[in-house]
Amino acid sequence: VTGPTEAAGAPRTLRVVSVSLGSSRRDHAVRVVRGGARFEVERRGVDGDLAAAEAAVRALDGRVDAIGLGGLDITLRVRDRVFTLSDGARLRDAASITPVVDGGGVKDTLERRAVEGLVAEGILGPGVEVLCVSALDRFGMAEALDGAGCAVVYGDLMFTAGIPYPIRSLDELAEMAHRILPQFAKLPISMLYPVGAAQERPPDPRFAPYYERAAVIAGDFHLIRRHLPDRLDGKTVLTNTTTAEDVRWLAERGCARLVTTTPVLEGRSFGANVIEAMAWAYAGGFGPGAAPAAEALSTVLDRLAIGPASRTLSLPEVS
Amino acid sequence: LSVAADPLTEALTGFAARINEDARLRQMISDWDRTVRCVATDSGRVAGLKVEASQVSVTGGGEAEDILLEAVEPLLVGMFSGEVSPTEPYMDGRLRVRGTQEDVLRLDFLSLMIWGE
Repeated sequence: VTGPTEAAGAPRTLRVVSVSLGSSRRDHAVRVVRGGARFEVERRGVDGDLAAAEAAVRALDGRVDAIGLGGLDITLRVRDRVFTLSDGARLRDAASITPVVDGGGVKDTLERRAVEGLVAEGILGPGVEVLCVSALDRFGMAEALDGAGCAVVYGDLMFTAGIPYPIRSLDELAEMAHRILPQFAKLPISMLYPVGAAQERPPDPRFAPYYERAAVIAGDFHLIRRHLPDRLDGKTVLTNTTTAEDVRWLAERGCARLVTTTPVLEGRSFGANVIEAMAWAYAGGFGPGAAPAAEALSTVLDRLAIGPASRTLSLPEVS
Repeated sequence: LSVAADPLTEALTGFAARINEDARLRQMISDWDRTVRCVATDSGRVAGLKVEASQVSVTGGGEAEDILLEAVEPLLVGMFSGEVSPTEPYMDGRLRVRGTQEDVLRLDFLSLMIWGE
Protein backbone atom coordinates (compact mmCIF):
# COMPACT_ATOMS: atom_id res chain seq x y z
CA VAL A 1 0.00 0.00 0.00
CA THR A 2 1.56 3.26 -1.06
CA GLY A 3 -1.24 5.73 -0.47
CA PRO A 4 -3.01 7.99 -2.92
CA THR A 5 -1.20 9.99 -5.62
CA GLU A 6 -2.37 11.91 -8.63
CA ALA A 7 -0.72 11.67 -12.04
CA ALA A 8 1.66 14.51 -11.19
CA GLY A 9 2.74 12.68 -8.06
CA ALA A 10 1.32 15.09 -5.49
CA PRO A 11 -0.92 13.47 -2.93
CA ARG A 12 -4.53 14.53 -3.23
CA THR A 13 -6.82 15.15 -0.29
CA LEU A 14 -8.95 12.18 0.65
CA ARG A 15 -12.46 12.98 1.77
CA VAL A 16 -14.11 10.80 4.38
CA VAL A 17 -17.56 11.38 5.84
CA SER A 18 -19.09 9.54 8.76
CA VAL A 19 -22.87 9.44 8.72
CA SER A 20 -23.95 8.80 12.29
CA LEU A 21 -27.30 7.96 13.80
CA GLY A 22 -26.08 9.84 16.85
CA SER A 23 -26.71 13.40 17.87
CA SER A 24 -25.82 16.19 15.44
CA ARG A 25 -24.48 18.04 18.49
CA ARG A 26 -21.32 15.97 18.13
CA ASP A 27 -20.73 17.01 14.51
CA HIS A 28 -17.27 18.19 13.60
CA ALA A 29 -14.79 18.31 10.74
CA VAL A 30 -11.03 18.13 10.84
CA ARG A 31 -8.11 18.02 8.45
CA VAL A 32 -5.35 15.59 9.27
CA VAL A 33 -2.21 14.31 7.61
CA ARG A 34 -1.48 10.63 8.05
CA GLY A 35 0.76 8.26 6.14
CA GLY A 36 1.74 11.06 3.79
CA ALA A 37 -1.88 11.66 2.82
CA ARG A 38 -4.13 14.59 3.57
CA PHE A 39 -7.56 13.75 4.89
CA GLU A 40 -10.68 15.83 5.31
CA VAL A 41 -12.75 14.00 7.89
CA GLU A 42 -16.29 15.02 8.69
CA ARG A 43 -18.98 13.63 10.96
CA ARG A 44 -22.66 14.21 10.24
CA GLY A 45 -25.15 13.15 12.89
CA VAL A 46 -28.77 12.61 11.87
CA ASP A 47 -30.28 12.49 15.38
CA GLY A 48 -31.53 8.93 15.04
CA ASP A 49 -33.34 9.47 11.73
CA LEU A 50 -32.58 6.40 9.61
CA ALA A 51 -34.23 7.85 6.49
CA ALA A 52 -32.06 10.95 6.80
CA ALA A 53 -28.99 8.74 7.15
CA GLU A 54 -29.97 6.84 4.01
CA ALA A 55 -30.47 10.10 2.12
CA ALA A 56 -27.08 11.36 3.31
CA VAL A 57 -25.31 8.20 2.16
CA ARG A 58 -27.07 8.41 -1.21
CA ALA A 59 -26.06 12.05 -1.60
CA LEU A 60 -22.42 11.32 -0.72
CA ASP A 61 -22.12 8.29 -2.99
CA GLY A 62 -19.51 8.96 -5.65
CA ARG A 63 -18.60 12.33 -4.12
CA VAL A 64 -16.28 11.20 -1.33
CA ASP A 65 -13.59 8.54 -1.00
CA ALA A 66 -15.24 6.49 1.74
CA ILE A 67 -18.28 6.67 3.98
CA GLY A 68 -18.37 5.46 7.58
CA LEU A 69 -21.54 4.51 9.42
CA GLY A 70 -21.72 5.55 13.05
CA GLY A 71 -24.21 4.36 15.63
CA LEU A 72 -25.00 1.12 13.91
CA ASP A 73 -23.22 -1.88 12.48
CA ILE A 74 -23.66 -3.54 9.13
CA THR A 75 -22.56 -6.95 10.35
CA LEU A 76 -21.79 -8.60 13.66
CA ARG A 77 -19.30 -11.46 13.84
CA VAL A 78 -19.69 -13.96 16.61
CA ARG A 79 -17.06 -16.66 16.30
CA ASP A 80 -17.52 -18.22 12.86
CA ARG A 81 -20.90 -16.69 12.11
CA VAL A 82 -21.66 -13.29 10.64
CA PHE A 83 -25.06 -11.66 11.14
CA THR A 84 -26.18 -8.82 8.86
CA LEU A 85 -28.26 -6.10 10.48
CA SER A 86 -31.19 -4.97 8.32
CA ASP A 87 -30.81 -1.27 9.06
CA GLY A 88 -27.05 -1.36 8.49
CA ALA A 89 -27.45 -3.20 5.19
CA ARG A 90 -30.05 -0.65 4.11
CA LEU A 91 -27.56 2.19 4.57
CA ARG A 92 -24.69 0.25 2.99
CA ASP A 93 -26.81 -0.46 -0.07
CA ALA A 94 -27.75 3.21 -0.45
CA ALA A 95 -24.32 3.71 -2.02
CA SER A 96 -23.28 1.96 -5.20
CA ILE A 97 -19.93 3.66 -5.90
CA THR A 98 -18.33 4.71 -2.63
CA PRO A 99 -17.45 2.05 -0.04
CA VAL A 100 -19.56 2.19 3.12
CA VAL A 101 -17.94 0.72 6.23
CA ASP A 102 -19.04 0.26 9.83
CA GLY A 103 -15.69 0.04 11.60
CA GLY A 104 -16.04 -3.64 12.45
CA GLY A 105 -12.65 -4.46 10.93
CA VAL A 106 -10.92 -1.67 12.83
CA LYS A 107 -12.56 -2.73 16.09
CA ASP A 108 -11.42 -6.30 15.51
CA THR A 109 -7.87 -5.04 14.93
CA LEU A 110 -7.29 -2.08 17.26
CA GLU A 111 -9.33 -3.29 20.21
CA ARG A 112 -7.26 -6.47 20.32
CA ARG A 113 -4.14 -4.27 20.31
CA ALA A 114 -5.58 -2.10 23.08
CA VAL A 115 -6.20 -5.16 25.24
CA GLU A 116 -2.67 -6.42 24.53
CA GLY A 117 -1.30 -3.03 25.59
CA LEU A 118 -3.18 -3.11 28.89
CA VAL A 119 -1.97 -6.66 29.50
CA ALA A 120 1.61 -5.49 28.91
CA GLU A 121 1.07 -2.71 31.47
CA GLY A 122 -0.30 -5.17 34.00
CA ILE A 123 -3.72 -3.53 34.09
CA LEU A 124 -5.37 -6.54 32.48
CA GLY A 125 -4.47 -10.12 33.21
CA PRO A 126 -5.68 -13.37 34.75
CA GLY A 127 -8.49 -12.81 37.23
CA VAL A 128 -8.79 -9.05 36.67
CA GLU A 129 -12.47 -8.15 36.79
CA VAL A 130 -13.75 -6.47 33.64
CA LEU A 131 -17.21 -5.19 32.80
CA CYS A 132 -17.59 -5.38 29.02
CA VAL A 133 -20.85 -3.52 28.54
CA SER A 134 -21.47 -5.06 25.15
CA ALA A 135 -19.47 -7.70 23.36
CA LEU A 136 -21.66 -8.68 20.43
CA ASP A 137 -20.67 -5.50 18.61
CA ARG A 138 -16.97 -6.13 19.30
CA PHE A 139 -16.42 -9.85 19.60
CA GLY A 140 -12.71 -9.39 18.91
CA MET A 141 -12.33 -7.41 22.12
CA ALA A 142 -14.27 -10.06 24.00
CA GLU A 143 -11.99 -12.77 22.62
CA ALA A 144 -8.91 -10.75 23.59
CA LEU A 145 -10.17 -10.20 27.15
CA ASP A 146 -11.04 -13.86 27.45
CA GLY A 147 -7.65 -14.83 26.04
CA ALA A 148 -5.95 -12.66 28.67
CA GLY A 149 -7.67 -14.66 31.38
CA CYS A 150 -9.75 -11.76 32.68
CA ALA A 151 -12.89 -12.40 34.73
CA VAL A 152 -15.31 -10.73 32.36
CA VAL A 153 -18.95 -9.84 32.83
CA TYR A 154 -20.46 -9.37 29.37
CA GLY A 155 -23.29 -6.89 29.83
CA ASP A 156 -25.09 -7.28 26.53
CA LEU A 157 -28.42 -8.25 28.06
CA MET A 158 -28.22 -5.64 30.79
CA PHE A 159 -27.06 -2.75 28.67
CA THR A 160 -29.12 -3.33 25.53
CA ALA A 161 -32.32 -4.88 26.89
CA GLY A 162 -32.28 -4.03 30.60
CA ILE A 163 -32.31 -7.73 31.51
CA PRO A 164 -30.52 -8.31 34.84
CA TYR A 165 -28.47 -11.24 33.65
CA PRO A 166 -24.68 -10.94 33.59
CA ILE A 167 -23.08 -13.27 31.07
CA ARG A 168 -19.87 -14.69 32.50
CA SER A 169 -18.37 -16.76 29.70
CA LEU A 170 -17.65 -16.31 26.03
CA ASP A 171 -19.30 -19.66 25.32
CA GLU A 172 -22.57 -18.54 26.89
CA LEU A 173 -22.38 -15.23 25.06
CA ALA A 174 -21.92 -17.02 21.73
CA GLU A 175 -24.70 -19.49 22.51
CA MET A 176 -27.14 -16.67 23.23
CA ALA A 177 -26.01 -14.71 20.21
CA HIS A 178 -26.64 -17.62 17.92
CA ARG A 179 -30.14 -17.96 19.36
CA ILE A 180 -31.22 -14.35 19.22
CA LEU A 181 -29.23 -12.53 16.54
CA PRO A 182 -30.87 -14.11 13.48
CA GLN A 183 -34.09 -12.39 14.58
CA PHE A 184 -32.78 -9.36 16.47
CA ALA A 185 -30.74 -8.38 13.41
CA LYS A 186 -34.05 -7.57 11.71
CA LEU A 187 -35.20 -5.13 14.40
CA PRO A 188 -34.81 -1.36 14.07
CA ILE A 189 -31.46 -0.35 15.50
CA SER A 190 -33.22 2.12 17.80
CA MET A 191 -34.62 -0.85 19.75
CA LEU A 192 -31.14 -2.19 20.47
CA TYR A 193 -28.86 0.82 20.79
CA PRO A 194 -29.31 4.41 21.97
CA VAL A 195 -29.51 6.68 18.94
CA GLY A 196 -30.22 10.40 18.60
CA ALA A 197 -31.57 12.04 21.76
CA ALA A 198 -31.45 8.72 23.62
CA GLN A 199 -27.67 9.15 23.72
CA GLU A 200 -28.03 12.24 25.88
CA ARG A 201 -30.43 11.01 28.56
CA PRO A 202 -29.16 11.15 32.14
CA PRO A 203 -27.52 7.87 33.15
CA ASP A 204 -29.62 5.28 34.96
CA PRO A 205 -27.24 3.69 37.50
CA ARG A 206 -29.22 0.47 38.03
CA PHE A 207 -26.23 -1.72 37.20
CA ALA A 208 -23.80 0.22 39.41
CA PRO A 209 -22.62 -2.88 41.37
CA TYR A 210 -21.13 -4.31 38.16
CA TYR A 211 -19.16 -1.11 37.58
CA GLU A 212 -18.04 -1.09 41.22
CA ARG A 213 -16.66 -4.62 41.11
CA ALA A 214 -14.74 -4.15 37.87
CA ALA A 215 -11.24 -2.72 37.58
CA VAL A 216 -11.75 -2.05 33.88
CA ILE A 217 -14.94 -0.92 32.12
CA ALA A 218 -14.83 -1.76 28.42
CA GLY A 219 -17.02 -1.29 25.38
CA ASP A 220 -19.12 1.24 23.55
CA PHE A 221 -19.12 4.61 25.28
CA HIS A 222 -22.82 5.34 24.75
CA LEU A 223 -23.63 2.09 26.55
CA ILE A 224 -21.08 2.77 29.31
CA ARG A 225 -22.69 6.18 29.76
CA ARG A 226 -26.24 4.74 29.73
CA HIS A 227 -25.83 3.26 33.22
CA LEU A 228 -22.85 5.23 34.48
CA PRO A 229 -22.73 5.42 38.30
CA ASP A 230 -21.65 8.46 40.27
CA ARG A 231 -18.16 7.15 41.01
CA LEU A 232 -15.52 5.31 38.97
CA ASP A 233 -12.63 5.85 41.35
CA GLY A 234 -9.37 4.39 40.16
CA LYS A 235 -10.89 2.53 37.24
CA THR A 236 -9.71 2.23 33.66
CA VAL A 237 -12.18 2.81 30.86
CA LEU A 238 -11.44 1.16 27.51
CA THR A 239 -13.75 2.51 24.87
CA ASN A 240 -14.08 3.91 21.38
CA THR A 241 -15.36 7.40 20.71
CA THR A 242 -15.21 10.14 23.31
CA THR A 243 -15.66 13.89 23.22
CA ALA A 244 -14.02 16.41 25.55
CA GLU A 245 -17.30 16.43 27.50
CA ASP A 246 -17.20 12.65 27.86
CA VAL A 247 -13.64 12.82 29.16
CA ARG A 248 -14.64 15.44 31.70
CA TRP A 249 -17.56 13.24 32.85
CA LEU A 250 -15.19 10.35 33.44
CA ALA A 251 -12.64 12.51 35.24
CA GLU A 252 -15.33 14.01 37.49
CA ARG A 253 -16.26 10.48 38.54
CA GLY A 254 -12.70 9.64 39.51
CA CYS A 255 -11.85 7.49 36.49
CA ALA A 256 -8.07 7.04 36.54
CA ARG A 257 -7.31 6.15 32.96
CA LEU A 258 -8.98 6.37 29.59
CA VAL A 259 -7.87 4.16 26.74
CA THR A 260 -9.51 4.88 23.41
CA THR A 261 -9.08 2.32 20.72
CA THR A 262 -8.70 4.98 18.08
CA PRO A 263 -6.34 7.96 18.27
CA VAL A 264 -7.21 11.44 19.44
CA LEU A 265 -7.39 13.81 16.48
CA GLU A 266 -8.01 17.48 17.12
CA GLY A 267 -8.99 16.80 20.73
CA ARG A 268 -11.37 13.89 20.30
CA SER A 269 -11.21 10.23 19.45
CA PHE A 270 -12.89 9.30 16.21
CA GLY A 271 -15.20 6.37 15.76
CA ALA A 272 -13.87 3.10 14.41
CA ASN A 273 -16.04 3.66 11.34
CA VAL A 274 -14.16 6.89 10.59
CA ILE A 275 -10.79 5.21 10.93
CA GLU A 276 -11.91 2.31 8.74
CA ALA A 277 -13.20 4.75 6.12
CA MET A 278 -9.82 6.54 6.19
CA ALA A 279 -8.08 3.20 5.68
CA TRP A 280 -10.32 2.33 2.75
CA ALA A 281 -9.76 5.74 1.18
CA TYR A 282 -6.01 5.50 1.70
CA ALA A 283 -5.70 2.02 0.27
CA GLY A 284 -8.03 2.79 -2.61
CA GLY A 285 -10.19 -0.10 -1.47
CA PHE A 286 -9.34 -3.60 -0.38
CA GLY A 287 -10.68 -5.48 -3.35
CA PRO A 288 -13.91 -7.45 -3.48
CA GLY A 289 -15.81 -8.36 -0.35
CA ALA A 290 -17.52 -6.46 2.43
CA ALA A 291 -14.49 -6.17 4.68
CA PRO A 292 -10.74 -6.15 4.19
CA ALA A 293 -8.64 -9.02 5.40
CA ALA A 294 -7.36 -8.32 8.90
CA GLU A 295 -3.72 -8.39 7.77
CA ALA A 296 -4.33 -5.86 4.99
CA LEU A 297 -6.21 -3.53 7.30
CA SER A 298 -3.58 -3.90 9.99
CA THR A 299 -0.87 -2.92 7.49
CA VAL A 300 -2.75 0.19 6.42
CA LEU A 301 -3.43 1.23 10.00
CA ASP A 302 0.29 0.93 10.69
CA ARG A 303 1.05 3.09 7.66
CA LEU A 304 -1.38 5.68 8.95
CA ALA A 305 0.19 5.46 12.42
CA ILE A 306 -3.23 4.80 13.89
CA GLY A 307 -3.50 2.91 17.13
CA PRO A 308 -5.02 3.04 20.59
CA ALA A 309 -4.44 6.11 22.75
CA SER A 310 -4.07 5.99 26.53
CA ARG A 311 -4.26 8.88 28.95
CA THR A 312 -4.29 9.37 32.69
CA LEU A 313 -7.24 11.43 33.86
CA SER A 314 -7.30 14.07 36.54
CA LEU A 315 -9.67 16.97 36.94
CA PRO A 316 -7.17 19.84 36.54
CA GLU A 317 -6.02 18.37 33.25
CA VAL A 318 -9.46 18.32 31.74
CA SER A 319 -10.98 21.47 33.23
CA LEU B 1 -63.79 -34.59 33.87
CA SER B 2 -61.44 -32.18 32.16
CA VAL B 3 -62.16 -29.64 29.50
CA ALA B 4 -59.56 -29.14 26.79
CA ALA B 5 -58.06 -25.67 26.84
CA ASP B 6 -58.43 -23.48 23.78
CA PRO B 7 -55.35 -23.33 21.51
CA LEU B 8 -54.26 -19.89 22.72
CA THR B 9 -54.44 -20.81 26.40
CA GLU B 10 -52.68 -24.08 25.64
CA ALA B 11 -49.84 -22.25 23.85
CA LEU B 12 -49.50 -19.73 26.68
CA THR B 13 -49.45 -22.56 29.21
CA GLY B 14 -46.59 -24.23 27.36
CA PHE B 15 -44.70 -20.94 27.12
CA ALA B 16 -45.11 -20.28 30.84
CA ALA B 17 -43.99 -23.80 31.72
CA ARG B 18 -40.81 -23.50 29.66
CA ILE B 19 -39.81 -20.34 31.50
CA ASN B 20 -40.74 -21.71 34.92
CA GLU B 21 -38.65 -24.83 34.32
CA ASP B 22 -35.53 -22.90 33.33
CA ALA B 23 -33.49 -21.28 36.13
CA ARG B 24 -31.65 -19.04 33.70
CA LEU B 25 -34.87 -17.67 32.21
CA ARG B 26 -36.33 -17.20 35.69
CA GLN B 27 -33.31 -15.07 36.59
CA MET B 28 -33.92 -13.00 33.46
CA ILE B 29 -37.41 -12.07 34.71
CA SER B 30 -36.43 -11.61 38.34
CA ASP B 31 -37.00 -7.83 38.19
CA TRP B 32 -39.89 -8.00 35.74
CA ASP B 33 -43.39 -8.26 37.21
CA ARG B 34 -45.70 -7.68 34.27
CA THR B 35 -49.04 -8.61 32.76
CA VAL B 36 -49.37 -9.52 29.11
CA ARG B 37 -52.75 -9.48 27.40
CA CYS B 38 -53.27 -11.30 24.12
CA VAL B 39 -56.27 -10.42 21.97
CA ALA B 40 -57.08 -12.56 18.96
CA THR B 41 -58.48 -10.16 16.39
CA ASP B 42 -60.25 -12.86 14.38
CA SER B 43 -61.86 -15.02 17.07
CA GLY B 44 -62.08 -12.40 19.78
CA ARG B 45 -60.43 -14.77 22.22
CA VAL B 46 -58.56 -13.11 25.07
CA ALA B 47 -55.94 -14.65 27.34
CA GLY B 48 -52.87 -13.48 29.15
CA LEU B 49 -49.74 -14.06 31.14
CA LYS B 50 -48.78 -12.79 34.54
CA VAL B 51 -45.13 -12.57 35.49
CA GLU B 52 -44.59 -12.20 39.20
CA ALA B 53 -41.70 -13.11 41.48
CA SER B 54 -39.84 -14.97 38.71
CA GLN B 55 -42.84 -17.17 37.89
CA VAL B 56 -45.14 -17.03 34.89
CA SER B 57 -48.82 -18.00 35.06
CA VAL B 58 -51.64 -17.98 32.54
CA THR B 59 -54.60 -15.67 33.07
CA GLY B 60 -57.88 -14.95 31.39
CA GLY B 61 -56.47 -11.68 30.15
CA GLY B 62 -58.88 -9.57 32.16
CA GLU B 63 -56.32 -7.55 34.08
CA ALA B 64 -54.92 -4.17 33.09
CA GLU B 65 -51.96 -5.02 30.91
CA ASP B 66 -48.39 -3.78 30.66
CA ILE B 67 -48.03 -5.34 27.23
CA LEU B 68 -50.86 -5.80 24.75
CA LEU B 69 -50.47 -8.16 21.80
CA GLU B 70 -53.08 -8.15 19.04
CA ALA B 71 -53.03 -10.51 16.06
CA VAL B 72 -55.07 -13.26 14.48
CA GLU B 73 -55.31 -16.29 16.74
CA PRO B 74 -53.17 -18.67 14.65
CA LEU B 75 -50.35 -16.14 14.76
CA LEU B 76 -50.59 -15.69 18.54
CA VAL B 77 -50.72 -19.46 18.99
CA GLY B 78 -47.74 -19.88 16.65
CA MET B 79 -45.72 -17.29 18.54
CA PHE B 80 -46.28 -18.82 21.95
CA SER B 81 -45.71 -22.36 20.73
CA GLY B 82 -42.46 -21.57 18.96
CA GLU B 83 -43.66 -22.08 15.40
CA VAL B 84 -43.44 -18.40 14.48
CA SER B 85 -40.90 -15.81 15.56
CA PRO B 86 -42.62 -12.60 16.67
CA THR B 87 -40.01 -10.36 15.03
CA GLU B 88 -41.25 -10.45 11.44
CA PRO B 89 -44.98 -10.18 12.24
CA TYR B 90 -44.10 -7.23 14.48
CA MET B 91 -42.07 -5.59 11.75
CA ASP B 92 -44.67 -6.08 9.02
CA GLY B 93 -47.63 -5.05 11.18
CA ARG B 94 -49.40 -8.42 11.47
CA LEU B 95 -48.65 -8.29 15.18
CA ARG B 96 -49.62 -5.08 16.94
CA VAL B 97 -47.84 -4.47 20.20
CA ARG B 98 -48.45 -1.86 22.85
CA GLY B 99 -45.99 -1.52 25.70
CA THR B 100 -42.64 0.00 26.47
CA GLN B 101 -39.85 -0.81 24.05
CA GLU B 102 -37.87 -2.47 26.82
CA ASP B 103 -40.79 -4.74 27.77
CA VAL B 104 -41.45 -5.71 24.17
CA LEU B 105 -37.78 -6.47 23.65
CA ARG B 106 -37.67 -8.65 26.76
CA LEU B 107 -40.71 -10.68 25.68
CA ASP B 108 -39.18 -11.16 22.23
CA PHE B 109 -35.90 -12.13 23.85
CA LEU B 110 -37.53 -14.74 26.09
CA SER B 111 -39.24 -16.41 23.16
CA LEU B 112 -35.96 -16.50 21.22
CA MET B 113 -34.15 -17.96 24.23
CA ILE B 114 -36.72 -20.77 24.27
CA TRP B 115 -37.05 -21.39 20.57
CA GLY B 116 -34.23 -19.54 18.83
CA GLU B 117 -31.74 -21.41 16.66
